[in-house]
Amino acid sequence: MAEQAQENSSLSAVVADVAAGVALALDGGRDSSALSGVLAQDDPLALAAIRVLGADVLAPYALRAGGGPGTTTDTGTDMDSGMAHRRTARASGVGAGPAARGARADGEVVRKALAAYPPGADASEVSLWSYRGLVEASRAYLPAGQGGPESPAGAGDRAAGPAAVAGWLQADPWPQLAHRASQLAALSLPGLAPALATGLAARTEDLSRGFVRAVRRRDWLQAAGIGRWLARVPDVPDTLGLDTGLVYVLRMSGGDARVALHTAIARRFHGRGAR
Amino acid sequence: MSGGAGPGRAGGGDPDGAAPLPSGVSDLPGAAQSDPPGSTGAPRPAVAGTPARPSAPGGSDRAGGHDGPAHPDAALLDRVALGALTRIDAMRPSFRLPDDVATDANPNTTLKPLGELAELADVVRTAHPLPAARALAGELFAFAWKETRGGELFAELVRGEPQATYPVELYGVFARAGLRNPAVEELLAATTGLRLWQVAREDHTRTLNVLNAERRIGLPPHADFAEVLAMTGLGRRPEPWALDRRTAYGLTHDVFHVTDWGRVPGLMPEPLAGYLRLWLPAWTASWLEERQWDLAGELLAVAACVPQAPYDPAAWREFAAAQRRDGAVPEVGDGPPEGAPPQEQFIGCYHSTLVAAFAATLARAAAGSGGAPGTAPSTPEATPAPAPPSAAVAEHTPAPAESEVLP
Amino acid sequence: MASDLSAPVETAALAAEVEGLLDSAEPEGIYRDTRECGAGLLLLGALLISPPTPRPPKTDAR
Repeated sequence: MAEQAQENSSLSAVVADVAAGVALALDGGRDSSALSGVLAQDDPLALAAIRVLGADVLAPYALRAGGGPGTTTDTGTDMDSGMAHRRTARASGVGAGPAARGARADGEVVRKALAAYPPGADASEVSLWSYRGLVEASRAYLPAGQGGPESPAGAGDRAAGPAAVAGWLQADPWPQLAHRASQLAALSLPGLAPALATGLAARTEDLSRGFVRAVRRRDWLQAAGIGRWLARVPDVPDTLGLDTGLVYVLRMSGGDARVALHTAIARRFHGRGAR
Repeated sequence: MSGGAGPGRAGGGDPDGAAPLPSGVSDLPGAAQSDPPGSTGAPRPAVAGTPARPSAPGGSDRAGGHDGPAHPDAALLDRVALGALTRIDAMRPSFRLPDDVATDANPNTTLKPLGELAELADVVRTAHPLPAARALAGELFAFAWKETRGGELFAELVRGEPQATYPVELYGVFARAGLRNPAVEELLAATTGLRLWQVAREDHTRTLNVLNAERRIGLPPHADFAEVLAMTGLGRRPEPWALDRRTAYGLTHDVFHVTDWGRVPGLMPEPLAGYLRLWLPAWTASWLEERQWDLAGELLAVAACVPQAPYDPAAWREFAAAQRRDGAVPEVGDGPPEGAPPQEQFIGCYHSTLVAAFAATLARAAAGSGGAPGTAPSTPEATPAPAPPSAAVAEHTPAPAESEVLP
Repeated sequence: MASDLSAPVETAALAAEVEGLLDSAEPEGIYRDTRECGAGLLLLGALLISPPTPRPPKTDAR
């Protein structure tokens, strides 16, 4: 069912478009405001696509905020302080240029996406996490005052999660763990979910097995999502061949924009994939 | 066998140290006492259930009849092994060699199955803890030798194809157990002593098998085992996600050749063992999902050939569920339909059923010798006990068994 | 890039679609091996005697 939606719906097409735009902004150094410049602000499909991609739509801002190679293997408290530092630097340095205007506009469109598609009462945990990730990303990556939409009542708390996540993070068998991690790949951006990152980093071998399984099943999107988490950690098994694997997945996917976005982020933030 | 036996890389000659039986012997010790000639230097009681595991430091062979720690999955493993052996036993007519076996018959449907029967039955008859399983396997092994007319067949095959490796490989299976034929050995001395015999062959995995055969027979090795191993699918340690079925089959056989079909797990070089421990769970899950029972069974056998590789209860459950009521395990998917002619049933099931008996035997025996079952990396429906989040524990625990198995 | 698809869309339906994409089930695995591999069931099984050895001529001059 979900699979069909991915293949056929116009939402999937817009998701792919947005993903391609973000990847372009990451790779080409284009203006990071990939969203507002190209999306009709009130298009429900565009807003839905942003909600689907979650924090990844703000990845170019995270990169500018200093999330490139060498700064992203830190987790936990280091990350928090690093993030605060970056926010301060940006707040003082970026004032009123076109970049700031773009950021403002992007913040606005993200705010609308969050407001239009809040996690419902029966939302999945992935949906809650992803929502929370987008909220956190707009706070963390956009200049002060541009992001930080108010969470709809309750949603933020429900998604707050380290406690909620702890269960499956430790108990899930590796295939399920890897699949879930892949669904949450956007949260692997720096600083968004330290507890999740730490928990997954403790299961690097299991994630690596999940990568193997996903590639063997030709599930390129899952493989790329898992690969992003693996790209963060220093102790990926050598024999996995993560770098060649990410390139392989990208090429084998035959131009899947979401796969390309995952691999672009692994490359731009963590220097993994093409060396 | 002593620790240096197995596929020892040094020295020629029969490492098993047992006196070869007179040639032409066709009445193998079968049913009752399944102790094979040549399988061990240490005397072992014929009655199972007696602690008989060689306690000498070099004693490494997995051997039946010991009282190892009970395997947590013994019931399941024994059901698989006994069911498979029973089915194989019922397939004897299909294993029989036709009269034209040395000339016109297709070796892939005649000699190959018989050779595989012998190779795997030999492991079961020496390593399975249950006397019934050892007895049945012993009978099957004796049957195979009889089909070769006490080895005379190999003389015919070598005369017909002096350059071919397969007669040597097949004869080696029996020679390992002390079943020899002087005429064959005279011939082999003439044919394998040539420079031509040393010309590299295309398939490195097969070359490992040839090297093992030379060692078993007592011929000088025609190449360096470690050098050949380094060129195989195992030695290269390919990206685990890139394996295809063919590479995977090559890799399982590399493991069988290195460890002498699981008899001496400690001969697996540690970097390769680590590679296997890390990726086997992913491969096994993947090929089980694909319903490639034959390959999945081989991967389960491989797990039992690697020191300290964890036992994977969920994978075994899935594999066992593919076994039919009559004990057959289909090679792929559902296998031949029920009413299919015997030959079709045979081709579609014999190998995977042999593999099932072999893998279940090694997994069962691993509890009492080399690689004790550890905690599997968390897999679906794995043991409910809280498992460590990764296989890191098993991975980095030094292997206490290795001192037992390494020379 | 998009999007001239701004025709009025049922937001509730879209919300469900968003959920579906976020928490998507695993697609069926796609397994395909090299065609050279699929040649014959038998040769897949083991490598003891593969590939088939050419047979000697039947005339056995002994």
